[in-house]
Amino acid sequence: MLLNLLRCLRGYVCFTVCGTYPERFINIALKNRLRLWNVVRGGDGLTACMYMRDYLRVRRYARASGVRLKISGRKGLPTLLRRYSDRVGLVIGAAAFVITVFVMSLFVWSIDITGLEDISESEMRALLAENGISVGAFKPAVDYQSAARSVMLSDSRVGWIAVNVTGSYASVEIKEQTPSPEVPDIDAPCNVKARRDGRIIRIDAEQGKTAVMEGSGIVKGQLIVSGVMEDQLGGVRLVHAAATVLAETGYRAQFRLSQRVTVYRPTGEVKRRLTADIFGIKLPLTVGGVSTVDMLSDDVEEVPAPLDVQLPAGLLTRRIYALEREEAALSRDEAKSILLREAQLYEAFTLSDCTVKKRSFRLAEDGGGYLLTADFTCEEDVAYQEEIGEEKEE
Amino acid sequence: MSKKEKPIRRFLPELPPMTALPCIEFSGNREVVIEGSKGVLEYSPDCIRVNTCCMVISVSGRELNLRCISDTALIIDGFITAAEFSV
Repeated sequence: MLLNLLRCLRGYVCFTVCGTYPERFINIALKNRLRLWNVVRGGDGLTACMYMRDYLRVRRYARASGVRLKISGRKGLPTLLRRYSDRVGLVIGAAAFVITVFVMSLFVWSIDITGLEDISESEMRALLAENGISVGAFKPAVDYQSAARSVMLSDSRVGWIAVNVTGSYASVEIKEQTPSPEVPDIDAPCNVKARRDGRIIRIDAEQGKTAVMEGSGIVKGQLIVSGVMEDQLGGVRLVHAAATVLAETGYRAQFRLSQRVTVYRPTGEVKRRLTADIFGIKLPLTVGGVSTVDMLSDDVEEVPAPLDVQLPAGLLTRRIYALEREEAALSRDEAKSILLREAQLYEAFTLSDCTVKKRSFRLAEDGGGYLLTADFTCEEDVAYQEEIGEEKEE
Repeated sequence: MSKKEKPIRRFLPELPPMTALPCIEFSGNREVVIEGSKGVLEYSPDCIRVNTCCMVISVSGRELNLRCISDTALIIDGFITAAEFSV
């Protein structure tokens, strides 16, 4: 293999030896330190190969041995260079290709992250990029071990990380840290108090002395279950009061909307803009936009990933929709519908810990707008524990 | 030379020094390496005769080739059926 490579680099000639006694030619050539290989007998002579430089001085030995030589082929790099010497561009192109491949292999072009559960991939990519591991990073300049350590120190959720680089492909394996469960201090004496105003429906006290009756009203911060226990002899004992206090609570929220609103309607004009993403460099393939000032766009990125290996190239398609702005006066029904949707969102996100038992809405016109007042009646656990002697000042 | 060695040496044939003898190495019957060759006397697909300093080695077989050759050594490959030494 190595010898063949050497022969190709030096260039060699394959030739045919014709004559009555070609063995004599072989012996004379070898005596004069000419190297021969692939000596094959066939027909009335033999074929052999010889370095190009040796062949220049072999003619006289051929004459001396009474044989005729005929070149059957010239091979190797010098022949190739001579053949393409007029086509400089081709040689430059080939050289540029080799250099490009070499230079490109010095960069990281694809990063694959596995093992993520709670941490998002974009978050982890940003964290890796901060520590030098990103698409387009210069490989010799990156210390993968220290980068992995930095990532672990930067984000406490990362329990273990390994960065393996194969060629231009970086594989990042992550094991997230399992948080240790929070262990409540069950021995510290505490009271159970109310988190909100409301009316108590039921008290399930595990420990402590109940201070209020079921059905009575409570205000925020009121003592419900006391951690101070008195015995029959008048002695006092402090306990860790714990209870579930189910109470009926009320929430009120107001949502306002102006009667005159700005509405953006699509005109139907859509433009598609293509951008090629090659090695992190974005090259616009098509340009142009919509005729209106207001627009809406959505992006779709297609990245080829053969064998689950993401390539450092992709096509980004951006669709731009033209929008037309117009001022509109909302009717009462339209306003109610919009405001009710806002109220539903409020209920879904703000009252997620409660069970909503009753809800009522009231829409009123208010100084050139609409005001929706939403009242929610909920059931929830209003208890919270507060250590005795650590009462908050409010 | 000690006196004890003299009678033994009388019975040994006259040998050339070891470095002058050709070194022949067979790999099965598919390849033979001959070191110490002085030239090729005959080359055909059925028979290759190689001259060495003190003998002529004749390798017979089928599809014989001189795969590699230099001024002191050569490699013959093919299907070797016989090797003969003529002194």
